[in-house]
Amino acid sequence: MTTHHDAGTEFPFAARPAAEAVQHLRRLMADRPMTKVTMPHGGDVWIVHRNQAARQMLSDQRFVREPFRTGEREVPFFVPFPDFLRTTLQFEDPPQHTKLRKLVQKAISPRRVRDMRDSAAAFANQLIDTMITRGGVRNLVAEYAVPLPIEMLSSLLGVPSADREKFERWSSSTLSVAGRTEQEITADMGELAAYMTDLIAKRRAEPHDDLLSSLAHAHERDETLTDAEILPIAFLLIVGGFDNTANFLTTGVLSLLRSDEQRALFMTDPDALAPTAAEEILRHGAFMMGQPVGGGGGLVPFVATQDVIIDGQLITAGEAVSIDPTAANHDPDAVTDPGRFDITRTDNPHLMLSYGLHHCLGAPLARMELQVGMAEIFKRLPNLRLAGEPVVRYDVLTQPMTDLPVTW
Amino acid sequence: MPKIFYTQPDGRQTALEATAGDSVMQTAVRNGVSGIVGQCGGSLSCATCHVFLAEENTDDFPPVGDDEDEMLDCAATERQDNSRLSCQLILREGQEVHVTIPEAQL
Repeated sequence: MTTHHDAGTEFPFAARPAAEAVQHLRRLMADRPMTKVTMPHGGDVWIVHRNQAARQMLSDQRFVREPFRTGEREVPFFVPFPDFLRTTLQFEDPPQHTKLRKLVQKAISPRRVRDMRDSAAAFANQLIDTMITRGGVRNLVAEYAVPLPIEMLSSLLGVPSADREKFERWSSSTLSVAGRTEQEITADMGELAAYMTDLIAKRRAEPHDDLLSSLAHAHERDETLTDAEILPIAFLLIVGGFDNTANFLTTGVLSLLRSDEQRALFMTDPDALAPTAAEEILRHGAFMMGQPVGGGGGLVPFVATQDVIIDGQLITAGEAVSIDPTAANHDPDAVTDPGRFDITRTDNPHLMLSYGLHHCLGAPLARMELQVGMAEIFKRLPNLRLAGEPVVRYDVLTQPMTDLPVTW
Repeated sequence: MPKIFYTQPDGRQTALEATAGDSVMQTAVRNGVSGIVGQCGGSLSCATCHVFLAEENTDDFPPVGDDEDEMLDCAATERQDNSRLSCQLILREGQEVHVTIPEAQL
C-alpha cells in the first residue's frame, strides 16, 4: 500500500505500542477525514477514519457494491478478494439485498438470539467442564473460543451434531487465505457446498426448526429462494459467524487477563458487566493484547455511483471507499478518552460490526456469544491466568490467535 | 424546531432540539443518547432503535408499517402496544415528542 503524508499522520502506519497507536490515530483524524490508499490488489480506495464521516458514508445509498459483484471492477483489498465471498449478501444492493437480508435477519434477531442464550451458557459450561477434567495448561482457542460459536452457528443453521466435526474443518478452510494450498481449499469448499446443498434439499423435503428450513420455505411475494440464493447466505454466516466470533472471544479473555484492574472489576459481577465489556472488547480489545498495533485496515469497500462530498472531501463517481474501524473506534470526537480500556463504558459508538445496510448480519448472535463466553469462563475459573504467550497467525487474513495457553 | 424528550429506563431524561425531516433515531445517535443503537442506519434491519412512544404522540406519526411491524417482533425487549422503531418516527416542524427507551436493544 502507498500513501503520502507527513510523518506523524501517515496512513497506513507500522505497528507500534498501543498507546502510541492511539496518539497516531488522533493526529491522523485531526488532519483529515480519510486517506486515499493504493491497495496491494484492486487499485485505489478512500479509507474513512473519522467515526461520524464513516457512519455518513455507510448510510448513504449512493455507495454500492454492484461493480464488485458483477466483476466489472476488482475489489481493492489486502489479498485477492475470495470469489465465493463476492456472491454473498454482502455484495448485493437493494432491492435484492433487502429481500434476502430480511429473511435471514428474522432468524438472527435480538429476540431469537435471546432465546438461544441459555443453550449457549450450557454449552460454554460443558466446554469448561471438559477443560477442568483435562487439567494442566489448556489452549483456550481450540477448547473454548472456537467450539462455542461453531455449536451455536451449526444449531442455528440446522447442521446435525454428528456432522459438526467435518463442518468445522470445512468452515475453517474458507478463511485460510494462506497456510493451505489452493487445491486443498477448493476441495474443502466443494465438499462444504455439496454438504450444504444436500442439507438444504433435506430441509425442503422435511423442515425442522432451523434457519436453513426457514430459508428453504420462505415466501416473499410468491417468490421462493433458490439453492443458489440460500447457499451464499449459509457461506456468509459460516465465514463471519465462526472465525470472527472466536477471535473476539479470545481477544476478550486475553485483554482482561492483561488488565488486572478491569478484570477485578469484571469479577465483581460478570453477568451484569458482560454487555458493556463486550462492546469495549469489540472497540478496543485488540489494543489490550500486549502486542504492537498498526494502522491500515479497512472493511469491504463500496463504489460511489456519483460525486459525493463526505466531511469536506470529494469522492468522485467511480471511486472506491471503505471505512477504517480501528481509527473510527478511537475517534476522540465520538469516544471519550479513546485510549482507556473501560468495560463499564455505556456510550460506545464503535464500528467493529460496521453500520448501515450492510452492518454485521450476525451482530446479535456475535454479541450474545461474546457476553456469555466471557461471563461463564470467569465465573467458573476466577483464577484463570496465562500460562505462556499467545500465538497469532499473521499469514491468515483475519490474523487469528491459534493458541492461548491458560491455566487456573 | 421539533423537540424530543428521551426518558431512560431509570427515569433520567434528555431533551434535544431536532431538525424537521430527521428521525427520532438519527437525533439520538447524533447526540449520543444512550440506549438507542440504530445499527442499520434506518434501513429496517436491526430492531436496535426500539422506543415506547408516549400516548399523546400516537397520532403524530403514520401508523406502524408492515416491515416495522415484523422487526418489532424481533426486538430484544418485548414489544408493547406503544412500541415503535424510532428510525420510522420522522419529525415535523413544531412537534414535541416523548419517548421512553427500553431496558435492552441488543
